[in-house]
Amino acid sequence: MDLDKLRETAAEVAGRDDVKYLIGWKKGSYGYRIAPAFVEDVEAAAELIFSPLCTANLATYLTLVEKLPLPRGQEPDDRKVALMVKGCDSRAVAQLLAEKGIHRDEVIVIGCPCPGMVDPDLLAEKYPETEEPAELKWSDDGFVIVRDGEETAVPRDELLAEKCRLCRYPNPVVSDIMLDDPVETWEPAEDEGVTEIEEKEVDGRWAYWQEQFSNCIRCYSCRNVCPLCYCQDCILDRLNPTWVNRSVNFSENTAFNIARAFHLAGRCIECGECERVCPANIPLGKLNRKLAREIRDKYGFEPGLEPEGEPFQASYKPDDPEDFIL
Amino acid sequence: MSAMLLNKEKWPDFVGKLTGKKLWAPQGKGEEMRFAPVTEGEAPALEYGNTRVPPKQAVFPQTETMFRFQLGGEEVEVPEPEEETVLLGVRPCDARSMAIVDNLFGWEEDDPYYFKRRELVTLVGLACSEPGLNCFCTSVGGGPASTEGLDLLMTDLGEHYFLEAVTEKGEALLKEAGDLLEEAGDDKVKEKDKKIEESAGKIKRSVDHEGVPESLPGLWDDPLWQSVSASCLGCGTCTYLCPTCHCFDIQDEVEGFDARRCRMWDSCMFGEYTLHTSGHNPRPTRRERTRNRINHKYSYFVDKFDVIACVGCGRCINLCPVNIDIVEILRQVKEAI
Amino acid sequence: MSANYEPNIVAFLCNWCSYAGADLAGTSRVQYPSNVQIIRVMCTGRVNPLYVVNALQQGADGVLVSGCHPGDCHYMEGNYFARRRLGMLKDLLEFAGVDPRRFHMSWVSASEGHKWKEVVEKTVEDAREAGPFEGFRRRQIDW
Repeated sequence: MDLDKLRETAAEVAGRDDVKYLIGWKKGSYGYRIAPAFVEDVEAAAELIFSPLCTANLATYLTLVEKLPLPRGQEPDDRKVALMVKGCDSRAVAQLLAEKGIHRDEVIVIGCPCPGMVDPDLLAEKYPETEEPAELKWSDDGFVIVRDGEETAVPRDELLAEKCRLCRYPNPVVSDIMLDDPVETWEPAEDEGVTEIEEKEVDGRWAYWQEQFSNCIRCYSCRNVCPLCYCQDCILDRLNPTWVNRSVNFSENTAFNIARAFHLAGRCIECGECERVCPANIPLGKLNRKLAREIRDKYGFEPGLEPEGEPFQASYKPDDPEDFIL
Repeated sequence: MSAMLLNKEKWPDFVGKLTGKKLWAPQGKGEEMRFAPVTEGEAPALEYGNTRVPPKQAVFPQTETMFRFQLGGEEVEVPEPEEETVLLGVRPCDARSMAIVDNLFGWEEDDPYYFKRRELVTLVGLACSEPGLNCFCTSVGGGPASTEGLDLLMTDLGEHYFLEAVTEKGEALLKEAGDLLEEAGDDKVKEKDKKIEESAGKIKRSVDHEGVPESLPGLWDDPLWQSVSASCLGCGTCTYLCPTCHCFDIQDEVEGFDARRCRMWDSCMFGEYTLHTSGHNPRPTRRERTRNRINHKYSYFVDKFDVIACVGCGRCINLCPVNIDIVEILRQVKEAI
Repeated sequence: MSANYEPNIVAFLCNWCSYAGADLAGTSRVQYPSNVQIIRVMCTGRVNPLYVVNALQQGADGVLVSGCHPGDCHYMEGNYFARRRLGMLKDLLEFAGVDPRRFHMSWVSASEGHKWKEVVEKTVEDAREAGPFEGFRRRQIDW
């Protein structure tokens, strides 16, 4: 993607009077890190980038804003927020619109067609991070790591993130401005991670998740990073009644993770952020993708495609499958 | 105190001598290492950078039962303290964090739960030879072979471990190991010193905190807090994985008529941390929470106990999902002063 | 598993159909297993999936949710929502390693006392086969 065009467009949008700020990606403080950038003025747009490292789904910031009560007589700031999105991020925006979590006129969506992101863990494992910020670029058949002026070409399959291998919508589904021509979509890979667990015996599955969930430290980063977890009063924070106890043990962790995954049933747009941010490396995406798979197969429903559509759990069809009912 | 050498071949025997005590060591693979009980008869391999979850859980468990009771009953049952525990391969920064947190739990009155465990724990440290990318211990008062908080420090000299007892507990361990050890000669002492120096030289990052504790509160309304916290997700990764973070929440959990009061880690990055019953929240947004995290570590704690509540382990930098970098924040603070 | 193991079943019944159905079973002297603890809710549509999870955490070996037949809901569409929701929950629990025999859903109308008996028998039998669900109990871990 042409970075100059990106920055030019961003500067133009951020400079508009009806725009509060623009959210994009910028280089992080070291290594392969990328930080979300909140661009309020035209100059700051110069640090924006879009590279194979921009895995973060910025749509979460649309609903993460904590609004304070306004002093009497003060008008609310109802300027728009501009947001840069990849394909998966745009599905989060579409889903938020469908759920009326945000209104269409509150956001300006800047679409970035996405040829696929790298898996940051895999990248750091194979090409260790250094304190100097490194750059990544797309080439025709893979990625190029640029470090200290030296370029290393890496084949696409070696570093492509799992969520991108499974991706079916690399091009933004909603956008006001598109920064580039749509990329050619690729054949999504089989979701072997989910299939592998499905094929286990029931006790094997329990043992697998028991091992995973006992590592959970309940930092709630999976919930907070999720663009679709935006309840003001989360069921996990409730104390009266206490749905999930605060104590950290396998039982509560399992209840927490089941609750989290379930609340995303028919809503998860598979951006993989929960899995990326988890400090305990729990494969949370598998739970979500399993539900997404079932919902696609059984109900023919996919979230995050129709901004005007009805949310999955807030609708029904009289002939929904009911073979599980006694 | 005394310095000894332990041939690495005798490491399993050394571990074997510690039977009767609970052993904890870094377990897991790659980056997911964390301290966990060692299976009996096994000698843990001490080749790792640092554990993802700090060993603070050995003295300050994430969930701790304070007492059990029956609804409608009149008696409480306080759980007995656990048996003696030896932590093998604690990094000097993490051991130092315990020495720092001791101040807090011993402030005015000793916290019985914390100190009961603290007294039962022996910390066997392992000096760092390959510091991580985000380590900055040398600039906050620590170092790759800092002995503060440790009972015994080991330094990897290739064929041998160089053992230095720091406290009487450590001395006792050396005595127990007895014939497995050899006296360390002057050449080995020099070799060790050189190794430590090399290792300290590998630490790339640093914070300049001169004048910061006094001036931080003066930056209360500085725009920098808005900019550094804008991308914060409000998760608990930085605080839960911080070796010096020590905040806890107390909850009653009830099952039928059985109940217990327990305390568990809490995080100042959560919105409900300071939420009042009335609905008022004195730290209503992530800006105030981030400001509090930095202020607490680099100002309030210094004010109270004369030591920075940050040991420079770099965990919060490594694992922050949105690259909020405490070194970078302090650089900006320094600029703003 | 001990020989005299009796499963605990928690059943969430909708006020208008299944609860009345169970009542009919009682008044008609239909014998059915007494392992079921019935919790009356106004509609299956208000059964939060966490009810099921919490029941399993607190000692249930099996959970049953029962309501009106599709089209018969007192609130017109509550059971349709429940069907989607709990169908997903069933898939999720199964994927997480909870034996599928531990969670059932059924439609029992106010006149189906005999069907209620069959449903309970099936639920109890399934939970008996699956055995006690100790792994998920809240209290078993460092309580």
